[in-house]
Amino acid sequence: MPEIRVTPLGAGQDVGRSCILVSIAGKNVMLDCGMHMGFNDDRRFPDFSYITRNGRLTDFLDCVIISHFHLDHCGALPYFSEMVGYDGPIYMTHPTQAICPILLEDYRKIAVDKKGEANFFTSQMIKDCMKKVVAVHLHQTVQVDDELEIKAYYAGHVLGAAMFQIKVGSESVVYTGDYNMTPDRHLGAAWIDKCRPNLLITESTYATTIRDSKRCRERDFLKKVHEAVERGGKVLIPVFALGRAQELCILLETFWERMNLKAPIYFSTGLTEKANHYYKLFITWTNQKIRKTFVQRNMFEFKHIKAFDRAFADNPGPMVVFATPGMLHAGQSLQIFRKWAGNEKNMVIMPGYCVQGTVGHKILSGQRKLEMEGRQVLEVKMQVEYMSFSAHADAKGIMQLVGQAEPESVLLVHGEAKKMEFLKQKIEQEFRVNCYMPANGETVTLPTSPSIPVGISLGLLKREMAQGLLPDAKKPRLLHGTLIMKDSNFRLVSSEQALKELGLVEHQLRFTCRVHLHDPRKEQETAMRVYSHLKSMLKDHCVQHLPDGSVTVESILIQAAAHSEDPGTKVLLVSWTYQDEELGSYLTSLLKKGLPQAPS
Amino acid sequence: MEPEEDWLVESLRLYQDFHAFDLSGATRVLEWIGDKGVFVAGYESLKKNEILHLILPLRLSVKENQGLCPERDFKVCHGGFSDTSVFDLKHVPDTRLLVTTGLPSSYLHVWQVTEDSDVIQAVSSIAVQQKEGGLWPRVAIFSSTAPRVLHGARLRSLNIVDLETQKTTYTSGVSDSEELSSLQVLDADTFAFCCASGRLGLVDIRQKWAPSENLSPGPGAAGGRWYADVGGRGPGPSIASLGSNGQLCLLDPRDLGHPVSSVQCSVSAPSPDPELLRVTWAPGLDGCLAISGFDGTVQVYDATSWDGVGSQVDPLFTHRGHIFLEGSQIDTAPLVTTHTWHPHKPRTLLSAASDASLHVWDWVDLRVAS
Repeated sequence: MPEIRVTPLGAGQDVGRSCILVSIAGKNVMLDCGMHMGFNDDRRFPDFSYITRNGRLTDFLDCVIISHFHLDHCGALPYFSEMVGYDGPIYMTHPTQAICPILLEDYRKIAVDKKGEANFFTSQMIKDCMKKVVAVHLHQTVQVDDELEIKAYYAGHVLGAAMFQIKVGSESVVYTGDYNMTPDRHLGAAWIDKCRPNLLITESTYATTIRDSKRCRERDFLKKVHEAVERGGKVLIPVFALGRAQELCILLETFWERMNLKAPIYFSTGLTEKANHYYKLFITWTNQKIRKTFVQRNMFEFKHIKAFDRAFADNPGPMVVFATPGMLHAGQSLQIFRKWAGNEKNMVIMPGYCVQGTVGHKILSGQRKLEMEGRQVLEVKMQVEYMSFSAHADAKGIMQLVGQAEPESVLLVHGEAKKMEFLKQKIEQEFRVNCYMPANGETVTLPTSPSIPVGISLGLLKREMAQGLLPDAKKPRLLHGTLIMKDSNFRLVSSEQALKELGLVEHQLRFTCRVHLHDPRKEQETAMRVYSHLKSMLKDHCVQHLPDGSVTVESILIQAAAHSEDPGTKVLLVSWTYQDEELGSYLTSLLKKGLPQAPS
Repeated sequence: MEPEEDWLVESLRLYQDFHAFDLSGATRVLEWIGDKGVFVAGYESLKKNEILHLILPLRLSVKENQGLCPERDFKVCHGGFSDTSVFDLKHVPDTRLLVTTGLPSSYLHVWQVTEDSDVIQAVSSIAVQQKEGGLWPRVAIFSSTAPRVLHGARLRSLNIVDLETQKTTYTSGVSDSEELSSLQVLDADTFAFCCASGRLGLVDIRQKWAPSENLSPGPGAAGGRWYADVGGRGPGPSIASLGSNGQLCLLDPRDLGHPVSSVQCSVSAPSPDPELLRVTWAPGLDGCLAISGFDGTVQVYDATSWDGVGSQVDPLFTHRGHIFLEGSQIDTAPLVTTHTWHPHKPRTLLSAASDASLHVWDWVDLRVAS
């Protein structure tokens, strides 16, 4: 029975490490390869032993697909490909391919240089891993091999994020990665066509939430910035420069314009370079014409936002500065932070998750005294704000996507089954689909009934129709034909046509059976008796008495002959072709029962 | 987009905090459970409705270091499905049980919020003796070791039923067919009723039916439909009665016959759907109340200095979020279906509208702010 098997990998119930194994029609695909940011030991990696105990990863897996550049989706990739060992193709979109190595390298630096970790992947490993990457475009069907194909769909969320359709023959699975259904200022919302996959796999981390509107999040951000600036304070916003910064810049620019505010907004130089790079990636990404109405301007040119010079940090008065890196672990953002931390009028707004060990993580945990290099203690008096801007699909978003794709079944990963019973019921009721919720390490098996399309030749169809009886949906009709399988094509043709195509000669198979009857009369009379009997018994069939004395039932021939040794016994020769097997057998058993007594 | 942007910029000054959510279906219910959870329920007549137990965004519940908490979302803690529309829902205190009422009105439904999963399950039904057609019974809970449900669509059908045994322990015993608009349990022995006509009464269930009432020309003389709330903090009158014509009367429970004051609110009257009229006393502010049910706004009034009859009053604050923020249906103007005050954050309210929006807002008292 063909089936699709899905196993989310990794240990424990914790969220934050996306890595899903899918087996579809004999192909094995790994979806994402994320790192769990909360752990410092091997628990941060998915549990690959599940696959490796079957042999080498490269032999077992047909491909790996990475949905987007967030570390909880790609953070374990170099470890997986270079330290565990995988040499097959790794698919991702072009922007993801460009950005992944940057984030992986940043992460590596923090882990090794800051935290002194030993068993970690090296810079060279990141490079070697990226050499295995095959970049794809949106809506482009990519043949992984002659049976497996994949296609990327726009997911919103972050630059380059995609949802992937994995297809083998008529079976398909769609994996969403992270996506959002409410549009962003510069990225728009996810979109998929009515592709009707057998299975839709989606993260359920936010499935049981109802998201606060984007407007209110933005309002909160503006309120905080405004309050700080109004009291003469300086606002530091550490960013990664790859998405979030652009969004917030557009927001501030609009607000500054409307409120006629004068305080300067700066964008640090490192950011400007990265922003240009980002811009180029972005233009190609959105040129896919996913969104019809989009930001009409070049949003990387701002009126109120200027390039930062490190000397400006000492200028008096209020200002807002966007600086990298995002977790305050090094570089310019950390420098600025150290200058401004001691003044309670100032503010730092952290717009994302910070890895353990970074200054960002410490201040978000509430630490107000930090130990810096040279045992210097920094007292943090500035206001610390943590804001969440990442766009994820909530319960409503998941329902919308299921409605768009129309899958046969839905699978939710990263949720606790007990806490999702209501959502499961909701999905099952609204869409009449099955909803699965496996725990990490648990395999879900979905039976599928793939339909194989077969073309029937017109000649064969016509011949069957000519038989006279009308097709009846409730009664199956027996059809004789030949199924020809060539390349991935199936055709049903008449036997004659098949023989002709194959250049073979037709052989006829004829069966003959002898039935002994006790009848002392002449053969002709026996034949007559047989004819009358069969005529009355087989009203639906064409029974004929031929001039030469033989009886035919359709194309079956019955001849009566005298027994060579016993004149009281007649021998009926019943002969039929292979096609008339059923009727032939029936006639034989009927005749064996004997003939009714004729009136003398 | 412009008016929305304008309003959002204005909102920086008007609100301390503001959250806006889209439910999958509009609700007329906002019932607290503790101070961190609320119940909402759908009221559609032709499809299954959801009953949801929502946990307030963490950011609102966290007392210290609020800035370090990024969580702004509601969490769906439990959910259930109802085949009938739900117009009101009451939580039975100290239990995991809920009682709902709506149309069709032949039964009240009892639900359980399960402990080991996230499902709200139907448990039993309480038959309503007198079928009332289009009227639905109002409900209030007498909480005790054996909780009882007070219900009725009219004065003559007022009953108290033991939740577990379903035995009727009290009936009004009158033949008065006046329609009820609200019921409120005040303590272990007393409840208040408000009729659609504006007639108010306080009933002691230890005695045979003998409510202290406002039988003399009361607020209802002006016509329209009325809704009342008993509550109020501070020394002033503790009963507020709101009419569909925009009239608001304040009464003292000791003398229901003579309202302390009666004012005309700044609303476009009459209310397009008087069943949605709501007046609520603020649990955390003296003499402050909120009203809704006239349009897409919620208005907050300071009633401490009101006296006399007939004066026009202006609200202390008007929440216009439901009008300005895009809801799921943009063609019809949304109508606020219900609102409620946070149990202990003094200026925080929750409001829901007919476009399935749900807002949580903390308004700034502009008299103090400057």
